[in-house]
Amino acid sequence: MPLFGKSTKGPAEVVKALKEAVNSLEKGDKKAEKAQEDVSKNLVLIKNMLYGTSDAEPQADIIVAQLAQELYNSNLLLLLIQNLNRIDFEGKKDVAQVFNNILRRQIGTRSPTVEYICTKPEILFTLMTGYEHQEIALNCGTMLRECARYEALAKIMLYSDDFYNFFRYVEVSTFDIASDAFSTFKELLTRHKVLCADFLETNYDKVFSHYQRLLNSENYVTRRQSLKLLGELLLDRHNFTVMTRYISNPENLKLMMNMLKERSRNIQFEAFHVFKVFVANPNKPKPILDILLRNQEKLVDFLMRFHTDRAEDEQFNDEKAYLIRQIKELKPIQGH
Amino acid sequence: MKMASHRENNIANYQIISILGHCFNQLAVVQLAKFIPTGAMVAIKKFDMDKIKEAYLVESEIILTRQLNHPNIIKYIVAFVSGPQVCVVSPLMAYGSCRDLLSRHFNEGLCEPAIILIIRDVLDALDYIHKKGYIHRAIRGSHILISDNGKACLAGLRYACPIVLNGKWQRSIHSFPSTTERNLNWLSPELLEQNLKGYNEKSDIYSIGIVVCELSNGIEPFAGMSKTLMLTEKVRGYAPSILDSTTIPRDENIESGGDCEISTNILNRRFSDDLHEITNLCLHREAYDRPTAGQLLTHPIFKNNKRLLPLPELLKPALPLSDRVGYDTV
Repeated sequence: MPLFGKSTKGPAEVVKALKEAVNSLEKGDKKAEKAQEDVSKNLVLIKNMLYGTSDAEPQADIIVAQLAQELYNSNLLLLLIQNLNRIDFEGKKDVAQVFNNILRRQIGTRSPTVEYICTKPEILFTLMTGYEHQEIALNCGTMLRECARYEALAKIMLYSDDFYNFFRYVEVSTFDIASDAFSTFKELLTRHKVLCADFLETNYDKVFSHYQRLLNSENYVTRRQSLKLLGELLLDRHNFTVMTRYISNPENLKLMMNMLKERSRNIQFEAFHVFKVFVANPNKPKPILDILLRNQEKLVDFLMRFHTDRAEDEQFNDEKAYLIRQIKELKPIQGH
Repeated sequence: MKMASHRENNIANYQIISILGHCFNQLAVVQLAKFIPTGAMVAIKKFDMDKIKEAYLVESEIILTRQLNHPNIIKYIVAFVSGPQVCVVSPLMAYGSCRDLLSRHFNEGLCEPAIILIIRDVLDALDYIHKKGYIHRAIRGSHILISDNGKACLAGLRYACPIVLNGKWQRSIHSFPSTTERNLNWLSPELLEQNLKGYNEKSDIYSIGIVVCELSNGIEPFAGMSKTLMLTEKVRGYAPSILDSTTIPRDENIESGGDCEISTNILNRRFSDDLHEITNLCLHREAYDRPTAGQLLTHPIFKNNKRLLPLPELLKPALPLSDRVGYDTV
């Protein structure tokens, strides 16, 4: 070991040293303090190999390739994530940075780390349960969103039972964790259009019964964010089947009509963007049409006075005018 | 589920005592409050989410601040939702911001020892932020808060941006911070120029130079100037300075007596050569010529600070907002 200058440890040695340190941290034996120090030190070494520092370039590709291979073979990524709560504050962030860099690794069109994680889905499940623990939630969040960029990994997460825990995480009382969980939740439901549409169609009942709870949440931010996301999901053409199903249910229409009258202007506005889909539907099922007809005059009256101060928002005003015209022209279905 | 103890997440556990100020373009209010279970005095910042369009800014500031851990960076104890408000609880910074101190007590600037102590703390925070891979992008007097024992804490992280993007440490950044109008006077020429070269963490060092001027002169350079003129001046390399007998041309001022009156106090005072030097170092036109935060901290001006009086002494007659003062203003 040189007394001055950079350590000359190669990837294999650093990975080995880090693994030993994490193992002894896990055991929590007498040497825990030393282990903590070793974990931090080796994490920084790995991080610097991958990213470089403000005055050193990252290591050559060959070294990074060796490092990645060592990480896969030693199963260290999973071990680090499982012990994340035991690693110190800065070390937790270093784990996330190392993980995110290795995840992006490419050989031609292949993403070897993504392939590796597909064979070790525990990594994803462990990350998802990270939201249960306040001290690691945000670190796990950054890694999860990085994973969600890859369709194969997003699919594993969406179709796992753990996905439904997100409906709880996005509502926790700690604002930063709830917000972070919502970003991940949104990424999973919107990033890969075809995958998401398939998922929502196949799991429509389960997803939307959970979703209903978010829309009725007592937490203002949750209610507003989930309403906004609902609008985005329904208006995405990939989700046409899901949208058709959603706007055929009179309970959903009633909920939106109530939200149009909420005290919060932002919620009213987001509700408008879901409500308009019900009205614009050219093939309204009878129960939907009945509700609209029963409230025809009240709705027209209400919409005339709805957010009149948004004069500069042309699209909104056009849409509003369109809805008013549509509702005015509604007629009961002839015949039976 | 293990979450922050529920006492801290419940607005009912805070007794509001007075309003400390507003921020976020008046859409957030900062209140002095007592955390009833322990009696601790805290500051609660309440964002009115129904009025704020850029909700993501509130989110990103809270998430970033929660992931930083440094004695000279504002600490958020907890953030939670209450009605349509997001509430952020932090320890009380009893002297308020440097901007408050300048406006209320030191219109012509702070004394040199006070400036040195504050800037050293801010540089410590900045060195940490840069090493963690962020550029602050809004270093200014109003984002530097002073605690009752005289520690300076950096706040205002909603303008910060990551240096690490797409899994790589970027050599330069090109994004322009949003809603940054009020910070423009402090921003570096290369950030304002928005050209292909972009900018890096040295941009914050330029802002440090402007803050040294702000703390010394009582007001930031370029204040009251049109934005375009400010930009032109910065880009053509005009470097502001701290005002004292060495930087104000004497006869010119005595004769003119016209549009800018400078007090004799400012005309006669003398800052040290070291303070002039670090100001100039920070305000170099080319980012490359500016030192890093870490390098600045090794400057002789920050050595032997133990001989200086503690900051609370130097800030007199300004007094910290003690529990007592707080109750009196109910």
